Amino acid sequence: MDKTKIKIDYSRCGNATGGIDPRTCSKCLFVCDPAVFVRHPAIGVEEESPNDPKYWQVTAVWLDLCIRCGKCVEVCPQKAITVSW
Amino acid sequence: MCKWCMKHGAGGKWYLNARNYSNELAESMNLRAYLEEQWRNFEQVYIRKIMGISSIGLGYKLRMPIIGRLIRWSVERMIHSESPNRNPVRADGHFGQVIPIEEAELIMTNLAAEPIIKNYCMCRMMQKGVKDSCCINFGLLSGVIEKLPRFIPENTKVRMTREEAVEALEEQNKKGRVSTVWFQPVPYINAICSCEVPQCGGLRLRMDYGLYTVYKAEYVARVDPDLCQGCKVCVARCQFGAIWFSPTLGRVIIDLKKCFGCGLCRDVCRYNAIRLVPRDEVPGVRGEY
Ligand code: SF4
Ligand code: SF4
Ligand code: SF4
Ligand code: SF4
Repeated sequence: MDKTKIKIDYSRCGNATGGIDPRTCSKCLFVCDPAVFVRHPAIGVEEESPNDPKYWQVTAVWLDLCIRCGKCVEVCPQKAITVSW
Repeated sequence: MCKWCMKHGAGGKWYLNARNYSNELAESMNLRAYLEEQWRNFEQVYIRKIMGISSIGLGYKLRMPIIGRLIRWSVERMIHSESPNRNPVRADGHFGQVIPIEEAELIMTNLAAEPIIKNYCMCRMMQKGVKDSCCINFGLLSGVIEKLPRFIPENTKVRMTREEAVEALEEQNKKGRVSTVWFQPVPYINAICSCEVPQCGGLRLRMDYGLYTVYKAEYVARVDPDLCQGCKVCVARCQFGAIWFSPTLGRVIIDLKKCFGCGLCRDVCRYNAIRLVPRDEVPGVRGEY
């Protein structure tokens, strides 16, 4: 089976570039039954305050567990997620 | 008893050895800076590099022929590291075991070092976006977490008495959560979590990838066929898919290979039909933690 690829457009989600703050949205995390996504401070910003909204991102980490249900794509208010394989 | 009991159990189970909870141990290991570093960067643990390879898509990488085996070996070494130069941002040396509710309560009553606090479960927060103040931390770790506002529950008392901690554990058990006790880092013990599949990070690595972040309990569940009434109430409790109802037998069956020995099924059976028996007394699962 082909590997699943999940892309998140950080110009739409993630405050660093003006998108929305994933900590107040997190809809993709909530609807994903196998819990593929992880919400975290962007890497390389350890020196900064992790409470600064600018540094928060969502990453699809557990790609092989994705069941390709499409719920995250549907629920994302920013249309930031694409799932392909 | 597993190999961690042999090493850190002083003749018994590792999590019943009072020394592993002591402030003296934490101080002798100089753990404050380690725990501060680990917790400040907690949510990044799954996007770190392992042997220079990003852990995003770990499942696919573990399936690669040679590199997959190397990654597995390297991750296992990190998880169980006792080396003085272990890395806090990868949470080296942080692993735990499932325990039944009575042992979790025993730890809260007799062994956990004060102060005891409750905080948001970081796994549920980072993988579900849900704030749930169900994790109980204690000893040196409490002061470390109290300085990190994102883990601190709003509008509630953070520090708990031993009695309040026991009540909190019971509440989580009623909800269907599995008690787990954690080295962080081994051999210092400072947390009891109430875990849920699939968003508990430890259970994810164990159940989906076969990595030993969480060991099965010292017990397995056994059904008494004469007492079971086939009401199926226990079936809804199992996080591990180990128990199901057999229409032919009119009672439940437990798959001992899948059972983690959490006791959640037993805790709701009104007919006392389920017992926990020591894992090492059952030949088929002896030594299988
Ligand atoms: S497609 Fe479904 S399973 Fe895959 S990441 Fe999206 S919500 Fe999760
Ligand atoms: S649902 Fe979309 S906008 Fe919301 S956190 Fe997920 S990726 Fe970001
Ligand atoms: S709850 Fe008890 S009586 Fe009911 S099915 Fe389970 S083991 Fe049998
Ligand atoms: S069968 Fe019972 S004791 Fe075993 S894992 Fe399931 S709920 Fe826990």
